[in-house]
Amino acid sequence: MGRYVIRRLLQFIPTVLGTMFLLHYMTSLAIQFSGNPVRALFGDRTPPPALLEAVTERLGYADPCLDQRGNPCFGLFFDRVADVFLRFDFGINLRQREVTELVADAIPFTLKLLVIAMVFEAVVGIAAGVWAGLRGGSFADNLVKISTVFVISVPIFVLGVVVREFVGVKFGNVLRDQAWIPEVISNGMFSPGFKPDYPFASLIIPGMVLGAVSLATTARLTRTSIMENIRADYVRTARAKGLANKRVIGVHTLRNSLIPVITFLGVDIGAAMAGAVVTETIFNVPGIGRLVTLSARTGESSVVIGVVTMLVLVVLVANLLVDILYAVLDPRIRYE
Amino acid sequence: MRGKFLKVAVAATATAMLATACSGGGNDSDDAAGQAGGELRVYAAEPAFLLPSAGDDEPSIYVIRQLYRGLVKYNAETGAPENDLAESITSDDQKTWTIKIKSGYTFDNGEPVNADAFIRSWNYAAYGPNAQNNSYFMKRIAGIKDVSSEDPDGEGPKKAPEPKAKELSGLKKVDDQTFTVELSEPFSGFPTTVGYSGFFPMAQACVDAADKCNETPIGNGPYKIEGSWQHNVAINLVRSDTWKGEAGKPDKITYRIFADVDAGYAAFQAGELDVMYTLPPARYKEAKATYGDRLYEQPGDNFTYVGMPIYMPEFKDKRVRQALSLAIDRQSIIDAVFDGRFTPATGYIAPSFQGARENVCTYCKKDVEKAKQLLQEAGGWPAGKKLQLWANAGAGHDKWLQAVGDQIKAALGIDYELKVNLQFAEYLETADSKKFTGPFRLGWGPDYPYLETYLGPLYSTGADSNNSTFSNPEFDSLLQQGGSAKSIDEAIPFYQKAEDILVEELPVIPMWWGKVGAVYGENVDKFVWNAVSDADYGATSLKQN
Repeated sequence: MGRYVIRRLLQFIPTVLGTMFLLHYMTSLAIQFSGNPVRALFGDRTPPPALLEAVTERLGYADPCLDQRGNPCFGLFFDRVADVFLRFDFGINLRQREVTELVADAIPFTLKLLVIAMVFEAVVGIAAGVWAGLRGGSFADNLVKISTVFVISVPIFVLGVVVREFVGVKFGNVLRDQAWIPEVISNGMFSPGFKPDYPFASLIIPGMVLGAVSLATTARLTRTSIMENIRADYVRTARAKGLANKRVIGVHTLRNSLIPVITFLGVDIGAAMAGAVVTETIFNVPGIGRLVTLSARTGESSVVIGVVTMLVLVVLVANLLVDILYAVLDPRIRYE
Repeated sequence: MRGKFLKVAVAATATAMLATACSGGGNDSDDAAGQAGGELRVYAAEPAFLLPSAGDDEPSIYVIRQLYRGLVKYNAETGAPENDLAESITSDDQKTWTIKIKSGYTFDNGEPVNADAFIRSWNYAAYGPNAQNNSYFMKRIAGIKDVSSEDPDGEGPKKAPEPKAKELSGLKKVDDQTFTVELSEPFSGFPTTVGYSGFFPMAQACVDAADKCNETPIGNGPYKIEGSWQHNVAINLVRSDTWKGEAGKPDKITYRIFADVDAGYAAFQAGELDVMYTLPPARYKEAKATYGDRLYEQPGDNFTYVGMPIYMPEFKDKRVRQALSLAIDRQSIIDAVFDGRFTPATGYIAPSFQGARENVCTYCKKDVEKAKQLLQEAGGWPAGKKLQLWANAGAGHDKWLQAVGDQIKAALGIDYELKVNLQFAEYLETADSKKFTGPFRLGWGPDYPYLETYLGPLYSTGADSNNSTFSNPEFDSLLQQGGSAKSIDEAIPFYQKAEDILVEELPVIPMWWGKVGAVYGENVDKFVWNAVSDADYGATSLKQN
């Protein structure tokens, strides 16, 4: 087990370096082909060349290779890698703030949002899946099937905007009219976006929107898995032994059925991070996703590289944890 | 279908909001001055900087203007400069200005606001290696060249050499409350420029630790920051006890920061905001229907123009430029593409500015017959050559530019081609290097409320933002005469004569002026929009219960 983990950790290195190089190359190409982002800061006012140069230099876009189209800028790449790993310096954004500081500001919001999303999709998704799976072909099964198809087929940016306009603004305004509803519900939870006064309550609905799409997949995976396992020999044996139904379903069937679901949830942390880019922008959550959106819009390479590298690390660690969890769930799986 | 659905939703929202306001409302006051008190919650975007020397974008300036105060402020109605911290700003030759500062004002940390506070701030902004965005605005002061480093080989050196001087030679302290400013050229409009937030004073403690002061500003204005800048979340201001001037109306101003104007509008609809200084373009019509009087509309001062590449032979003849301008029906484009959010331009100076004249541009309205005739007199358009129309990508300019192209094609039979795939940064670099191969879209916002701001930087020979390479000695000399005129009133006729040259020569085709569209909530008693510095939160009062 220990050796396996070490081997996996070593594999992180080429993955992270590869990602960083791709990001570096793409952002450098963007600058080489679409111009110095520092110039855009000044808009219609043509800055005196000395000022433009001073700001460009200060923000780290002065490397001459950024003027040569197609040049992969290896020198700049090695500087960046050395800065990141040896000096823990991720650079600054166009407003001269440290990327590490930006991330430190943003990460608590994204973590809260992710936790809400994952809890929502795991609890509701698995519950719905079990409910449908145990009653194949019944009304419950059809309800889960149809509602999940509906959720899967609506893109998250549509769902987000619709929820913001109708749940946050319209329904929320009705709630805010009723004096008997506590403020934390009417002003917090049903706010059309993140609100600093209610840092947790106002994230519940955005978190649910973020979790909604994967919730459908979770429910369907659980449902199929349960239906398959409920007919398996070991379940019949367990029943024949005279075990209580609760134990047969809860321990024997569910535990085995959850293996694909756990895999999915693990991979889904990465997908949820990507979804957060959209959800956070719609609901004005000042997290990592909104940070990536804004910096990609203005072409801030240091922020894009720094943040996405950190996201890659999160996904890698999540995947490793999932693989280790397999061994816990299924005794047949062993890592040597 | 969707539009109708949304309208119903919004109507319901409005009813709900009305009901909220009524149930919570008390005695409405008709006091025109507005009462003090309460918390004003306003929409904001993330500022770039909260240092006066660095913040040059709209979100930054909205906060800086409440935290800091400068030598002059602008009259809310007329935009005319009025002394704020300055006792007097005088000059005999319009080149050396003597500024006397009222005594008794202090920063929040107790430091006095004196001559040093201004000299220090302007020097800090101007010094090249500090890379402050507002160093651009110090360019009129003598000695600006010496405080920024010159690039010896013009190739972008790895290490820029140290500038020759650390301080602007044009700033001299006379006594604690007096200093003199020497400009490199006489400029009659100087007193109007110093109301811009880039000229606000800075405390010594602020300059010593600029990064810290950016997070927790040490201001000298009617409000001070509560806690520090919560990036991307909020900025909370409270009334400052050290401010000796006219106090602000609300007790607190809360800037809620939004990354997306649509998210901000949703928060406004939900009653979480009292003022939004801007609106999502797609919701403008609907907001107008919903909020009626509470949608504040006024012609703004943002100028959109189509520049003429005079460096190209086809555009050398002014009659060609006049013909192109005469082919465009501005109002129809504004109605069709922008839901009427702009005002057609009939001159080169914003209508809200002192000295602006209406309908001064005779070539700025559609007249196909005249256009055809002028083009023919000029020898016609080269056969088979396409007119290339430029705009930057991803900002929605292609739509209206296409309408311009269609109108020109219909009127003059010139086929056109859109060049709209450059990103903003590269687009601006193309403009700087004068590489556009046809008419190009650009905009201009005023640097200061003086009509010269629309003339000098854009059309005088060799000016930084003169992207059409227009050069006219008479125009240049009129600007110079305006600059050295004894007073603003005496200067205005010179600038108007200069504008007369532009409307004849058309170095750029004026398109339209932006319209201001702000909304405010039911609980706002009196909303104040300053003709120059836009929404004035400190002067906006709330209904008191």
